[in-house]
Amino acid sequence: MANSNLPRRIIKETQRLLSEPAPGISASPSEENMRYFNVMVLGPSQSPYEGGVFKLELFLPEEYPMAPPKLGRICLDILKDKWSPALQIRTVLLSIQALLSAPNPDDPLSENVAKHWKSNEVEAVETAKEWTRLYATGA
Amino acid sequence: MTIGSAGSSVVVPRNFRLLEELERGEKGIGDGSVSYGMDDSDDIYMRSWTGTIIGPHNSVHEGRIYQLKLFCDKDYPEKPPTVRFHTRVNMTCVNPESGMVEPKKFGMLVNWQREYTMEDILTQLRKEMAAPHNRKLVQPPEGTYF
Repeated sequence: MANSNLPRRIIKETQRLLSEPAPGISASPSEENMRYFNVMVLGPSQSPYEGGVFKLELFLPEEYPMAPPKLGRICLDILKDKWSPALQIRTVLLSIQALLSAPNPDDPLSENVAKHWKSNEVEAVETAKEWTRLYATGA
Repeated sequence: MTIGSAGSSVVVPRNFRLLEELERGEKGIGDGSVSYGMDDSDDIYMRSWTGTIIGPHNSVHEGRIYQLKLFCDKDYPEKPPTVRFHTRVNMTCVNPESGMVEPKKFGMLVNWQREYTMEDILTQLRKEMAAPHNRKLVQPPEGTYF
C-alpha cells in the first residue's frame, strides 16, 4: 500500500542513488516504505567530523518534489525557503555533507552550540571531534 | 490540517510524524483549550510529552487545568501512546489510583488508528469531560496530583 503509485521521479532518483552513490554518502529506501530512506554520511576529511559515520532519516512527503525532503531538524536553507523542485535527494545530501565541512553558526538549531562556536572555535572544534569519536564511530 | 494524511497511500514514518506534531504543538492549537509539548528535547526518540487540557464549560471541570503525560513508544503511531493524568481527576475512563486513561474505557485508544494524533486524544478527553456521565462527578481538590 505504502509503495503503490510511487512517482516516476522518485523511482529514478532512487535508482541513481543506488547505482551511482555520491562519495561518502549512502541512501537506501526502506522496503516497507520507499519514501523513507536510511542515510549515512561520512564526516568529511579535514573536518572535526572526520572518521565519523552520521546516520540520518530522510522522508519524501506526498508533495515531493514540490516540497523539500524532510530530514529531521537541520537548519539548511534548501530544506526551507530555498527549495526548488530542480534540486534532488542527492543535492540535499551533498549540502549536508558540505555543512559538516563548514558549519554555519549564524543559522543554528542549537543556540548554545552556536555561541560556543563563536566565542571559542578551537574548543568547539575539540568538542565536535570528541562527540564524533564517542557517538559516530560505531565503536 | 490532517497530520496523518488519511486516505492517501503515503505513510509518514514515526519520527517525521512526531516532528510534525511537535511543530504543530509549538505553534499552538486553536483556542488553546488543549496543548502539548515535548518533555526532553535531547531524547532523539521524542517519547515523553506533557499535555494540558482546560476544563470545558458547563461541567465540574470548568476553570480547572489538567496536566497529562503521554508516552509515544517506538511503535507509535502504529500503536497508541500511553496516556496518564498527572493532575487528579475523577472520570469514568481514568484509573482512580494511577491516573492512567484506560484504553478499554476510552474508545479512541482501543480503536486506535494511525492517523490519530496527540491533539486528537486531548480534544477527545476534553469532550469526554463534558459528557453526561462525567460532567457532574465530584472532583478531587484542585492542585492535587496522582
